[in-house]
Amino acid sequence: MAHPSQLGFQDAASPVMEELLHFHDHALMIVFLISTLVLYIIVAMVTTKLTNKYILDSQEIEIIWTVLPAVILILIALPSLRILYLMDEINDPHLTIKAMGHQWYWSYEYTDYEDLGFDSYMIPTQDLTPGQFRLLEADHRMVIPVESPIRVLVSAEDVLHSWAVPALGVKMDAVPGRLNQTAFIASRPGVFYGQCSEICGANHSFMPIVVEAVPLEHFENWSSLMLEDA
Amino acid sequence: AEGFRLLGILDVQNTPCARDAILHGAGGSLAAGLLHFLATSRVKRSFDVGFAGFMLTTLGSWFYCRMNNAKLRVQQRMIQDGIKNKVVYEGSVLDPTNKPGAPGPS
Repeated sequence: MAHPSQLGFQDAASPVMEELLHFHDHALMIVFLISTLVLYIIVAMVTTKLTNKYILDSQEIEIIWTVLPAVILILIALPSLRILYLMDEINDPHLTIKAMGHQWYWSYEYTDYEDLGFDSYMIPTQDLTPGQFRLLEADHRMVIPVESPIRVLVSAEDVLHSWAVPALGVKMDAVPGRLNQTAFIASRPGVFYGQCSEICGANHSFMPIVVEAVPLEHFENWSSLMLEDA
Repeated sequence: AEGFRLLGILDVQNTPCARDAILHGAGGSLAAGLLHFLATSRVKRSFDVGFAGFMLTTLGSWFYCRMNNAKLRVQQRMIQDGIKNKVVYEGSVLDPTNKPGAPGPS
């Protein structure tokens, strides 16, 4: 999860998020070098005593500062497009989960094999136990098996919401009357937090998403228990 | 842990290859600028050459290191898949150790 005054991304928990992290580093290094270049040019221009009042044109430098930015943009665009198409690949999901946004909670339906559905409300601050995270914990987590491709169908029952889990590199708008699809693989076990990412009313900040990735047998035990309780 | 950010944006401690690229860049910049100055005694131009050396060395070191890391990541994924599927593929045509199956009836 995020830590206080964090600036960068959370550690990646899915292969797509790993790729996004690497691309971000690549783009950031380019941005850093361009910023250093601009800073250097500004300092050089401010400290020089040289002036030339009679420059009219200069083909060489015009060519350089047209071609070089184009090359830099291509260097950024190629990995970016690669990841864009990578994110759209859906590789034979093992499980399909429906995430429905409501005002102001999420509900999850696992209907592949049995009819399992439950609501996921934020745990209020006064009910937290020591060690739990304020505004992030939910009473029922979305449990998934680790290292399995998961398809999530996102929609909403009332107004726009958005289902986002930064550590998994996933964000998908929940639009009433529309079914949006996203997929991911949790590459390591753990608990991953997210928050509703589309303004949806008074308690928009208080409907978190909690995804718990566990080994398959634990997932099977959990789903049996949830079915018994239902 | 939160690392030191150059220009407030580039986390050199936690970004793989960043620290090495910047250090190589600094060394390359110093070498290029100094050599140019020793050869021409032009101060301002030597600074410019030094800065160009910084950009080129940083970029070169960065891409070289990132390419190697990417290749290692691909190998790591292949090894992980191989370990996961070892039991599944053992004895079949996909077995990378190529153990021959039991001989068929003659």
